[in-house]
Amino acid sequence: MDAFLTSRIMADVLGGVTNGVIYGLVALSLVLVWRSTGILNFAQGAMPMVAVYVGMIVFGHYFGYWICVVLAILVGFAIGAGTERVLVRPLYGKPEINPVVVMVGFLTVLEAIAAAIWSTTPRSFPTPFSPIDYRLGGKPFALSAFTIYEIVTALIVMAAVAALFRFTNLGLQLRASALSPEVSRLLGVRVNRMLTLGWTLSTGVGTITAILVSSNFFTGLTPQVMDGIFAYGFIAAAVGGLDSPVGSIIAGVVMGIILQFVGDYVNSNATILVALAILIVSLMARPSGLFTHARTRRV
Amino acid sequence: MKAPRNLPLKVAAIVALVGVALSVALAPRSNDALALSILIVIGVLSVGVLLAPTLRDAHPVLTRAARVLVVMVVTLFATYFFSTTTNFSLATGAAMSVTLVGLSFLTGASGQISLGNGAFMGVGAFTMAIWANHHATTPIVAALLIAIAAGALVGLLLGLPATRLRGPYLAGMTLAFAVAFGAILTFFNSWTGGDGGLQLPHATEPPRWLVGLFHHGVDPLTPNTLWLTDITVVATGVAFFFMANLFASRTGRAMRLVRDNEVGAELVGVNLARTRVLAFVISSSYAALGGALWTLIDNSVTPSTYSFALSIVILSVIVIGGIGTIPGALIGGIVYAYSTNAISWFTAQTGLNPQGNLASQLNGIIFGGLLIVTMMFAPRGVAGLYRTLQQRRSMKRPDLVSPVKETYADA
Repeated sequence: MDAFLTSRIMADVLGGVTNGVIYGLVALSLVLVWRSTGILNFAQGAMPMVAVYVGMIVFGHYFGYWICVVLAILVGFAIGAGTERVLVRPLYGKPEINPVVVMVGFLTVLEAIAAAIWSTTPRSFPTPFSPIDYRLGGKPFALSAFTIYEIVTALIVMAAVAALFRFTNLGLQLRASALSPEVSRLLGVRVNRMLTLGWTLSTGVGTITAILVSSNFFTGLTPQVMDGIFAYGFIAAAVGGLDSPVGSIIAGVVMGIILQFVGDYVNSNATILVALAILIVSLMARPSGLFTHARTRRV
Repeated sequence: MKAPRNLPLKVAAIVALVGVALSVALAPRSNDALALSILIVIGVLSVGVLLAPTLRDAHPVLTRAARVLVVMVVTLFATYFFSTTTNFSLATGAAMSVTLVGLSFLTGASGQISLGNGAFMGVGAFTMAIWANHHATTPIVAALLIAIAAGALVGLLLGLPATRLRGPYLAGMTLAFAVAFGAILTFFNSWTGGDGGLQLPHATEPPRWLVGLFHHGVDPLTPNTLWLTDITVVATGVAFFFMANLFASRTGRAMRLVRDNEVGAELVGVNLARTRVLAFVISSSYAALGGALWTLIDNSVTPSTYSFALSIVILSVIVIGGIGTIPGALIGGIVYAYSTNAISWFTAQTGLNPQGNLASQLNGIIFGGLLIVTMMFAPRGVAGLYRTLQQRRSMKRPDLVSPVKETYADA
């Protein structure tokens, strides 16, 4: 048993799950915005990145890790709500390329400003958890306190989002205004507020993701750290279905595992190629996503 | 409004006179004089076509050709008097405008957008360099066509699944491609030369006939010489000519119908999927041509040029110029060619430390900011502003019924 748990295959599976929950979280945050406002938020990586930098300002000065985490999440909420109010609201009902262009511009500005203020040197956001792998029978077992923290946090966030949507009145209002804004407005749902809340929630999820990424000893935080992760997250969301939170999370985790094997057995530069291939094949086979029940629009 | 009957004659005469004066001035360099004379003949003929009302109405293709030729001839004239640096900027901007007109066409024709045109430029650039390293004797035109084919092939691969879908799939997929392009180049590093990129072996030697005719006595082995600018300008002209015809053709009209009204398009028998894929493939082959021209101008290619940042700059300059329009691509190319100078001028004026964090990020802040501001307040860019002014002026004249103008961007 120990031999299996410390084998190369098991190491890849566990490493893949660790990366995969990150992709799943990014995909989830994309789906939240897509379902509520019909916009793919290309600044979904950059907005949380700024929030984490702001949270890190106080780190090391007076406060410990957890206070910084809470601060970063609050800043993330504020950025999400502010962006929806100022940048996104004028774009509803415009041709579909307008929000794409504006959010790409926002992504560029945020990355450039972050690099101007905090430079492009990687910084790490050390956690109270050790990144050193546990050992089983003298061999490393590909889990550490830190990766367990990462996976557990991701699962808690996913469960919290699911519970919010399924069991609360607020979640019902959120779902209703995404499904049919006019009817919801007639029934007394404050649709505009729900749209803002959707963006707020999504940036909050994104901030937790960015905290996990920048707490990672190996990557650290740079202004562009989320670019690649955004690409994987988008692929996961598109494969799983932009309408389906559960589907996109599953797709993220599965893709994380597959890519870990590819990176280990082939070449680390091949992972993004394989991810693109997965996206191409799955869009050919199931254009609306593997896990979605949505009907495709036919004319 | 009718042009006076003898106006074409007058303009042609003026152009001819200026040209003769130039030829006389350059007479000591006899080959230059000959080359200029050829340009003059082309220029006079095209101005004639452009200004003769009957010809203009009966032969739109001829008119478009004349229009492109006039701009091309004027530019080629100008290159004789520019410094090497200016010529280099001109060539870089011209190649960029080829990429831009492709992207402009994609958006204008299908309403979709690509965030990966920098990577498609990279496909063309590396194809050109790899081909030249293996088959040094291939004529330049053939090598450019091969680069275009490579761009079309990659475009087909990515476009086939993504363009059929409504929504942000194409934008997301091209963004993933642009982000991944560096890793893809590294993965194929036995071909692409890794981080250092590739040098062109003999491709900088200009074709003999061209040197004999246009650039007698120019050292063919110096990179960035005039003939490279000339080739780029001619290639750009040809690309714009094709694009202008495509915009106006049956296919172009079908594409705009797909953009504006899918159901209507399907009802009149337009194949939606094929039209969308075609628009994307054309746009990626144009980007590949732009990149191949860059390789030719620079005499080398490095992977860092074709980073994700380039794709964003491409998007910015075309949005500033006017996405969905042909003039917008030209304006964008000019903006691109002068942006580096303008930003370093700005840095010098404000006394920022050029090596500092802020100065090195100015590019991103300015281009990103302009993207947002333009899309929010003038989504049709500079070209759209001009068109709006023009329409407003023509509305003021009550005796004219202003015809319904075709607009390329519905933004």
